[in-house]
Amino acid sequence: MIPDQTRLAMTALTDLLGDRLSTGPSVLAIHGRDEAYSTPALPDAVAFPQDTAEVSAIMKICHQYNVPVVPFGIGTSLEGHVIPTHGGISIDTSRMTQILAIHESDLDAVVQPGVTRVALNTALRATGLMFTVDPGADATLGGMAATRASGTNTVRYGTMRDNVLALEVVLPDGTIIETGSRARKSSAGYDLTHLFVGSEGTLGIITKLTLRLFGQPEAISAATCAFPTVDDAVNTVILAIQSGIPMARIELLDDVQMKGMNLFNPDLNLPETPHLFLEFHGTSAGVKEQVDMFKSIATDFGVSDFQWASAAEDRNRLWQARHNAYYAAKALRPGCDGLVTDCCVPISALAECIAQTKDRIAASGLIAPILGHVGDGNFHLVVLVDPNAPDEIARAKALAADINHLALSFGGTISGEHGVGIGKKPYMAKEHGAAYALMSALKRAVDPKNIMNPGKIVD
Amino acid sequence: MHPTTEAELAQIIQDARAPLQITGGDTHRFGPAHGAALSTGGLDQISIYEPGALTLVAGAGTPLAQIEQMIAAEGQCLAFEPAHWGGILGRSGAPTLGGIIAGNISGPRRVIAGAARDCALGVRFVDGTGRILKNGGRVMKNVTGYDLVKLLAGSRGQLGVITEVALKLLPRPETTASLILRGLDVGQAIAAMSAALGTAFEVSAAAYLPDAGEVALRVEGFEASVVYRAQELRDLLGKTYADIDLIDDTASQDLWRGIRDVRPLMGLDGDLWRISVKPSDGIAVAAALKGAPYLMDWGGGLIWAVLPAGHDLRPALNGIDGHASLLRADDATFNALGALPPQNAVLAELTRGIAQKFDPKGLFQPQKAA
Ligand SMILES: Cc1cc2nc3c(=O)[nH]c(=O)nc-3n(C[C@H](O)[C@H](O)[C@H](O)COP(=O)(O)OP(=O)(O)OC[C@H]3O[C@@H](n4cnc5c(N)ncnc54)[C@H](O)[C@@H]3O)c2cc1C
Repeated sequence: MIPDQTRLAMTALTDLLGDRLSTGPSVLAIHGRDEAYSTPALPDAVAFPQDTAEVSAIMKICHQYNVPVVPFGIGTSLEGHVIPTHGGISIDTSRMTQILAIHESDLDAVVQPGVTRVALNTALRATGLMFTVDPGADATLGGMAATRASGTNTVRYGTMRDNVLALEVVLPDGTIIETGSRARKSSAGYDLTHLFVGSEGTLGIITKLTLRLFGQPEAISAATCAFPTVDDAVNTVILAIQSGIPMARIELLDDVQMKGMNLFNPDLNLPETPHLFLEFHGTSAGVKEQVDMFKSIATDFGVSDFQWASAAEDRNRLWQARHNAYYAAKALRPGCDGLVTDCCVPISALAECIAQTKDRIAASGLIAPILGHVGDGNFHLVVLVDPNAPDEIARAKALAADINHLALSFGGTISGEHGVGIGKKPYMAKEHGAAYALMSALKRAVDPKNIMNPGKIVD
Repeated sequence: MHPTTEAELAQIIQDARAPLQITGGDTHRFGPAHGAALSTGGLDQISIYEPGALTLVAGAGTPLAQIEQMIAAEGQCLAFEPAHWGGILGRSGAPTLGGIIAGNISGPRRVIAGAARDCALGVRFVDGTGRILKNGGRVMKNVTGYDLVKLLAGSRGQLGVITEVALKLLPRPETTASLILRGLDVGQAIAAMSAALGTAFEVSAAAYLPDAGEVALRVEGFEASVVYRAQELRDLLGKTYADIDLIDDTASQDLWRGIRDVRPLMGLDGDLWRISVKPSDGIAVAAALKGAPYLMDWGGGLIWAVLPAGHDLRPALNGIDGHASLLRADDATFNALGALPPQNAVLAELTRGIAQKFDPKGLFQPQKAA
């Protein structure tokens, strides 16, 4: 049953958007789920705006009729972020894909929110510049800013937190604001830009982003290498970071994950022991120096099977395989769902935290490969579950809860990059204490009617 | 008031009925003095320093120098290269951690390593009702809800009193070297800095000293790599710029400490302005300064200038994206011009709404001096 207010809003929205307001069952279904395991719920309609003015007009209508709104990028988030648990309108940014400007000398780009990270880098190809944040999925830049996403080279170039310079945002009542500016040290008032970065669509809709770019390094060298144990691999990572090697990428995949990688992509054909996937950026001489230093550290931990990739194609193949790791994990058990954990701990606690995590996986009797951006102290389990076996789902959730508490006990966090959505809400009070109430108060200050992605992050 | 524990500080704020002037090392202040002074100087413990985790947790009142010394002994540093503004602002006192984070005070390496706020992994603070709150922690990444750390960092004490900060540290560069390009006007200088920052040689600072007509460019890292990169950069820039010198580690460190602390403008009479723009607008700003002494850092994105007392610089910068803050002036000028540029009505409203949640009693909001 669609509520009367929503019906009235939909009539007004159809006047505004014509057939770019859709109620087709397949369109609703796509906007009612995400890439992970949260229970789907359908929006009443999906709007496809083309520009900021339209987003503002949509918001004004929804504000007038008190209709919930859920911003939607490309739906790859993993904690139920985009699921319209309160119904209402899903606002899909897939028609907002213009790259508005690339400023080579100021090292920034201005884009609409529906541009994906791959599309931006394709457009940058001729410039010698790059945009560095690369979550596994080819997500939209609006979605990435909204989830404060990170990726494989965050250890060197930072997360969306570090790479968003300024935003244009439509507030819940339809007002358009600009936060920050292209000036580097931007904010004259509070840092509103970073209040919206990571707000998961609960404070406003991002309609334009100014992003930081980096010059492409003179030389890039990538490699995979094998270790006898996860502990050896992790200790190598810790020492490499501590000794100041400016690693561009350093990713862990355990033996179980490597089995999945080979299954999903037989050409890879790597030994099924714990691996690090690496990349070095710098001048030609600098890369050689970094590689030598890394090798001398890794040798002490029994490294073997270095496979190098320097040509762009070979590197791309390697990182494509890494980006598909989630699907590779799922290949270990076809037909299963993946429940992904996301803890992040101080790097000095990483080895111990992963060791205890392994014990708990073993005790659970479940299959759960480990992989992660270990240079940041961040790692994931993909707990593989049969979606039709409630007992298994319960055990998987118990395991995930266990790992989350473990991370907190090491002074870490329950989410290094995937965010809160619905899935992580139950842990928020424990992680934040009284500050969680302040977050709710902030949400109410910006969105008094609670129409922006209600029920996510805070109540 | 000089509390020595967080709880004591919280109690003072709970009881407070009138505005408070929060001070750390008292090296700078945003705008005129107002309210009873509340010092964080008693919160000066370094509670955790784990070199292996590249993190340090310390009380807001901890002198910066103490932290820098302690981590230098382990071969580590603060990537954002905090500045010491006491001298240029004509104030005594030594900077504290809380002041540096609340003011988001970053030095030359900002262009490559991010700002103070980017190195703050976590904060504890007391809001305007006296609640003790924390956000973030000691981890490199955290996406659990709104980024209160970023909101507090750079809030200039207007949202709460920061009591403790967790910092991300970096291994200290083994050595540094700088190139000095001579005889450049501002246009040539910005072109040279942009070109250098856009190379693969990881230039970690780029400044322009207009009086001398000099551009300074720094490279840092492992010895062999620094030698190589400095030479490559010199060869590359040598194609366009005739007069280039290379200075060694010691001279380079001196030079950048001076630029960081705005020493080239020290001893000049007048108001001190700090202008943030995108580097390519640096030329327009220089023109608007009409001969006033200035210093350019961050590849042209940060401009310090000294103007005649009481002169409003902002109208001359109209149409340039960015903003100008007034850092040193008398109270009458602060009252007339405002330390910070005015915000548009919508942003001001949003900001007020947010501040209200942190500070319902208005204890920390900027006041005009009587
Ligand atoms: C295989 C795989 C690998 C992944 N790897 C990583 C990884 O390495 N690192 C990582 O951080 N994440 C990773 N993710 C998670 C996901 O890709 C990121 O969260 C991504 O940032 C989501 O972008 P999206 O465009 O899909 O956003 P969506 O899923 O569409 O939306 C995410 C959230 O942002 C909001 N939102 C979207 N657009 C806007 C907008 N314009 N304005 C305001 N709010 C908006 C939505 O309401 C929602 O709350 C992975 C996911 C998958 C499936």
